[in-house]
Amino acid sequence: MKSTWLVLVVVTLVLTVSGDILTRKGEYGQWWYPVPGFFALLGLLGCMAIVVVSKLLGRYWLQRREDYYGDSGAGE
Amino acid sequence: MSNFPPAGVFLVGALLLPLVPRRVRAVALLMPPVASLVLLWILEPGQTLTVPFLDFQLLLTRVDRLSLAFGYVFVIVTFLGGVYGLHLKDVGQQVAALLYSGSALGVVFAGDLFTLFVFWEVMAVASVYLIWARGTKRSRQAGYRYLFVHMAGGSLLLAGALIHYNATGSLLFEPMKGGLGATLILVSFAINAAIPPLHAWLPDAYPQGTVTGSVFLSAFTTKAAVYALARGFAGWEVLVWAGTAMAVYGVVYAVLENDIRGILAYHIVSQVGYMVAGVGLGTEVAINGTTAHAFTHILYKGLLFMGAGTVLYATGRSKLTELGGLWRALPLALGLYMVGAFSISGFPLFSGFVSKSMTVYAAEVDHRGLVVLLLNLASVGTFLHTGLKLPYFTWFGPSRPAAPQTRVPWNMYAGMGLAAAINIAIGLYPGLLYELLPFPVDYRPYTFAHVSETLQLLLFTGLGFWLLIKMLKGEPIITLDTDWFYRRPARLVYVIAVVYPSHLFATTERIALRLVQSLVSASRDPIAALNAATVTLFGRYPDGRMPRRRHNTGDYDPDRYRLPVGVMGLVILALFVALMLWILLAR
Repeated sequence: MKSTWLVLVVVTLVLTVSGDILTRKGEYGQWWYPVPGFFALLGLLGCMAIVVVSKLLGRYWLQRREDYYGDSGAGE
Repeated sequence: MSNFPPAGVFLVGALLLPLVPRRVRAVALLMPPVASLVLLWILEPGQTLTVPFLDFQLLLTRVDRLSLAFGYVFVIVTFLGGVYGLHLKDVGQQVAALLYSGSALGVVFAGDLFTLFVFWEVMAVASVYLIWARGTKRSRQAGYRYLFVHMAGGSLLLAGALIHYNATGSLLFEPMKGGLGATLILVSFAINAAIPPLHAWLPDAYPQGTVTGSVFLSAFTTKAAVYALARGFAGWEVLVWAGTAMAVYGVVYAVLENDIRGILAYHIVSQVGYMVAGVGLGTEVAINGTTAHAFTHILYKGLLFMGAGTVLYATGRSKLTELGGLWRALPLALGLYMVGAFSISGFPLFSGFVSKSMTVYAAEVDHRGLVVLLLNLASVGTFLHTGLKLPYFTWFGPSRPAAPQTRVPWNMYAGMGLAAAINIAIGLYPGLLYELLPFPVDYRPYTFAHVSETLQLLLFTGLGFWLLIKMLKGEPIITLDTDWFYRRPARLVYVIAVVYPSHLFATTERIALRLVQSLVSASRDPIAALNAATVTLFGRYPDGRMPRRRHNTGDYDPDRYRLPVGVMGLVILALFVALMLWILLAR
């Protein structure tokens, strides 16, 4: 069951990228148009970058205990 | 009569609603949206309604295609929210919701800055009630902070409007040219549009609203501000970058947020970023994109808040760390929520796709590569949180004992179902939406390139989520945001503005009271005061006696200075005896 899902996912991913590679076009001349599967890369790397950068920002700078402002929300 | 202000329908409705019998009140709430939908249908672009006020001619209603598009979606979401809240018996919330949506309509149709200001303020006051009505300590505090920020914004708007009037001699709300007045007005709009760093009121307050209240909150304030920006500041370059930055900013914070409605709130910041960037681009296709995205955003964000609200309603919980495994208990809520999630992520066939891609396309034809990239990055984050992380950890994920305690009434599902249907309809037939846009649309969302790019972007985001799933589970923390600047120093401000002055007052009061007391006792008994003073100074009484006991020095004793009554009696007796003797002897 699990492997069926995995195959399905991989096939979908490959199809989306290959469809893109076969029909490249350059409408408005951005530098990434010649790169096949650019948006797939942007999706994967962007997702990882967002998660890692945010978590680092949180860990070393932004995160505080829930009662930081003096209310723990216990009154709810 | 056809130019009757649409806001008026809601304001009259809000006045009459408390008089309607309690049982049908929730149904009566649906009347004003229906009535004003008809009214909007009749309104023609170009119609106006002018009302004299003091020396001014106020433009209560000014209709054009931009205001009509926002008007339509405001009316629709009020109806949806009304259906979602049909079970509600709280007349305060119902009246507040009507006032809130009515004043948002007022903003959208306001032709001059004074009318705009009045509705702007009503919007702030009406909406804060939807936060306070939750009745918790946190909602009360967050509501006060919300109100203070919006009052400050309102004051800036008034000041800006007055300066603008002084400079140009006109109160009409038209595209701004610049100057101090325009800058102040821009800042006040930026506060309501939640542009960082002026955005912190939104993720602070929206998660604290009531289950139904937050649905209304998510719709009006920011989008009325987007409308105002589009009307007054289209083409201002600064907005392109402010919008792009906020699209990414909201996504970053949503990673760290633990409250499900907090995640959705940060994604309002992110989504409004697309609209603000579109306003900054200022071209016809960009304004179309902004309007379209505001339209669909209101519908899918309303749906998402309804879904999260359903979870909160059923379980009483809203934190990722306290939720999980709800798919068996609330499957319908999951399905309807996912329609909203696919819409906000911009999946083809859902509403967000036909509007978001239009805004990004506007940046593309403007040759702004970086803006296009960053907006696409924000899309990645949007799907990651709203479409994957939130539903996964709420409905699946590590199952925690979050069994529903309250049965979800049918009308909540009905409201969500209607909203989901509209989102899918717009995704399938984008022409429905494009017909309402301010400019003629020459844009086709369903090209092979667009669909392929979007699918790549989103499906590989899914892959990234699957790889990083361990890092994404909620943490029981809060995240510092720019509200730190007015929340953390609050203690310092409290010490400076409350503790120290109250010390000062207490000391002054004590000194003054002592002074008065000693004056009173001195004037009541000057001798005692004099005695006390001489004893203190010279160690003895004025008459030279030494004080016997330490604490008995000052008491005034009149007998010390007069003869006893007995002496007088003795004298009288002696005189009497002498008189008797003289009488006896003289005979």
